[in-house]
Amino acid sequence: MIDRRGFLSGVLAGAGVLTLAACGGGGKAMRISHADQTGELLANTLISVLATGRIALIVNKAEIGQGVSTGYATLAAEEIGVPVDHVDVHLAGSMNELRQSGNMQITGGSTSTTEGFKFVRHAAAAAREMLVGAAAAQWGVPVRDCTVSDGHVVHGTRRAAFGDLTKLAARRDVPEHPTLKAAKDFTLIGKTNKRVDGRAKIDGSAVFGIDHTVPNMVHAFMIHGPVYGSRATRVDVGNAKSRPGVIDVLTVPSGVAIVADKYWQARAAAAELKITWDQGTVAGLDTTQMATAMRTYTKAGASVVDKGNPGKAIKSAEAKVAAVYEAPYLSHAPLEPQNAIASVTGSRCEIWAPTQSPTITQAFVSEAIGIDFDDVKVHVLTAGGGFGRRAIADVCAEAAVISKRVKRPVKVIWTRESDMTQAYYRPVFAVHATGGVTQGKIAGAQIHCISQSIPLSSGTLFAAALSGLPGPIRGRVIDAALAIFSTNSFGDIFATEGLGNTPYDFRAYEVAASPVQNKLPVAFWRAVGNSVTGFAMESFVDELCVAAKQDPFAFRRAMLPEKSRQRRVLDALEKLSTWSTPPAKGIGRGLARHFAFETEVGEVAEVEMIDGRIRVKRVYCVVDCGLAVNPDIIRAQMEGGIIFGLSAALDQEITLVDGVVQQTNYDTFPSLRMHEAPEVIVEILPSDEPPTGVGEPGLPPIAAAVANAIHTLTGVRLRRMPLQRAWNERGAA
Amino acid sequence: MKLDVNGKPVEVNVPADTPLLWVLREEVGLTGTKFGCGKALCGACTVHVDGKPKRSCVTAVGDCTAQPIITIEGLATDKELHPVQQAWLEENVPQCGYCQAGQIMTAVILLRTKPSPTDAEIDDAMSANLCRCGTYPRIRKAVHRAAALLQGAK
Repeated sequence: MIDRRGFLSGVLAGAGVLTLAACGGGGKAMRISHADQTGELLANTLISVLATGRIALIVNKAEIGQGVSTGYATLAAEEIGVPVDHVDVHLAGSMNELRQSGNMQITGGSTSTTEGFKFVRHAAAAAREMLVGAAAAQWGVPVRDCTVSDGHVVHGTRRAAFGDLTKLAARRDVPEHPTLKAAKDFTLIGKTNKRVDGRAKIDGSAVFGIDHTVPNMVHAFMIHGPVYGSRATRVDVGNAKSRPGVIDVLTVPSGVAIVADKYWQARAAAAELKITWDQGTVAGLDTTQMATAMRTYTKAGASVVDKGNPGKAIKSAEAKVAAVYEAPYLSHAPLEPQNAIASVTGSRCEIWAPTQSPTITQAFVSEAIGIDFDDVKVHVLTAGGGFGRRAIADVCAEAAVISKRVKRPVKVIWTRESDMTQAYYRPVFAVHATGGVTQGKIAGAQIHCISQSIPLSSGTLFAAALSGLPGPIRGRVIDAALAIFSTNSFGDIFATEGLGNTPYDFRAYEVAASPVQNKLPVAFWRAVGNSVTGFAMESFVDELCVAAKQDPFAFRRAMLPEKSRQRRVLDALEKLSTWSTPPAKGIGRGLARHFAFETEVGEVAEVEMIDGRIRVKRVYCVVDCGLAVNPDIIRAQMEGGIIFGLSAALDQEITLVDGVVQQTNYDTFPSLRMHEAPEVIVEILPSDEPPTGVGEPGLPPIAAAVANAIHTLTGVRLRRMPLQRAWNERGAA
Repeated sequence: MKLDVNGKPVEVNVPADTPLLWVLREEVGLTGTKFGCGKALCGACTVHVDGKPKRSCVTAVGDCTAQPIITIEGLATDKELHPVQQAWLEENVPQCGYCQAGQIMTAVILLRTKPSPTDAEIDDAMSANLCRCGTYPRIRKAVHRAAALLQGAK
């Protein structure tokens, strides 16, 4: 067995040792004493070399299934010179020194590999140079004559194991500018496919957030009100408090908590309670009325792009297209329901949760219980799916409120019903588009995107969450949040991403945006705005293409720069999908492409209609994401992004009637299942460019690829998601 | 109440209507079996009771006494993975991994009754198990691979 006790107690238990050991930060004395006591080299914040020669890697990201632990382990192993299975991954908790993504610790925006390709390799190369320097000095030979191989420094016939060099290496300075390996020398990057977390996830040993325990912990079962934001005004506890194991019944801002020794004891006692609720913060909200208002909205929006004079160009065009593309609220519905453990002692709180953002968790918790931001310590646990929902820490705040009241560590596990009804949905959209074509070519396009704004929703929430903090800290976090969340006139990069930055040259082009405002919180959902703008843009382009009587590939190529990622992907996709050969009878094919998170993805969907049911049989997918670090994980993310997106495209919606969410579990919020999952054929284009996003970019094209295929098959244009409902209601008033 | 979990006798003191899922997780300490929906809709909690796949979130523990219960932790023997687990690893199936215990438990029963399942038979057996990450194409390949591994082992 590997003895990691020294490492675990010295580094992971708190930020102290890690802070002192941080890169070139004057921590040499600490580093030496730690190495002498434990045999461990704390090379820098991310990399430690253990006495056994194994590498402990701090992964400053959430493992939500996207494979970041394997990705970072591959990058570290490549640079330091060990096999990937010699790297042990530890998920980083909250730590100010590790705020690397827009001054936050957050997993989102498909940025992990892009970021890690620089700083993980840098950290590992620094550790390697310390080890090599130590060996070279010991042997009295030049560093340049030494190499590393399989966890050893090598000079001629001499070999020194990394684990035997840690004490000497600790005495060397941490190099500020270590030399990274050249791409031509990579032996692991581009060739590593086996997941480091694969084994634990097939034998039941992986510890997810919901599985974690801490000493003296009790459970709280939450009852939330019928309308989002409902507060309990009267609670009749019945015999709940005399049920086995029940400790207390508490009214908290978000609902009523039954606290018991065991989860099921608390859950079973819930039937005893009679609760009266107030009307909630979204009383009366009706999504059908909202959709009508958004569809018929005619006021001008705030300008995002204004190029040429598309109004004039469209007016004089030979053929015109005018359409509205719509998308509903969506739940993320990760299979592991929201959960968290909180332990409040005095003015401090520890959180253990499968969170996508320690920083946002600190903000939520500090606001909820009125303690300082830096007094919230977050431990990040493996997540059973995230898809953006776990960047919101409402369940962590709830657990903290309860722990403060019962003065013990408390674990909260939501029901599926709470997970699905407690908001933070993908926003609703209506995208109004008009365009014109003349002589088979684009003349101009105008797009008006009407959407509920995540910045306005979460911006308010963030400001509220941070209002209890002391000025300097609050300012720092708000600045960081705003740097990410706001850039344009109404502060929303998310509503128009994929529209404002389209690679298409429409000759004349305008994009405007208008926010929808209500009190139902919305948040990031896989691919965020792109999840809708990819559908709207590529459906719109397909309609223009039909009006222009052009081939879908040729029409798009004519609007895209030569030698672009877009053209490369289209060329490969045309071949992969055998586009020039007509499909079998009864099959419709549709093309869509989208550029998001710096990655270009093109997809062709093959669709048939079986007794009125849309069935996607096969999807061809070509991706250009720069250098492929773990090719099979990229393929898996394309498959997953397509299937996740297809569930939403075909069937999913969150609707509200009089403020009440109508979908509560997987029966009313269906996801694609095995018998309807398409075959997915993925081609990754070879590239020497730095790696770009893969977790989200597979999703945006799929809905339009399917809608476009349905149009070629049936002549019916579906402009509203979910598409199956739009099909069922086609022609209805 | 006496239970037989993964071949070992276990004594628990809970009301008979407690769902088997929470008895396994909270009393027996086996957390590989997952809570996903609580209503037998997602299959994450699938275990074997008397050789049949059961949704443990809606199965009362009182109905499981004196019957062998097998969970994901009980599939591998000694140091060897079950062929279905082995196939799952070889096809790189898991992403988040949360549904995979239930998927594997369902697949093991499928292959016991249909040693060489067709795609349609895989659809029938596996479509009750939800995966939000979209690992279905790999699950299909892994079931076929597991079928081959099981037959090779005979």
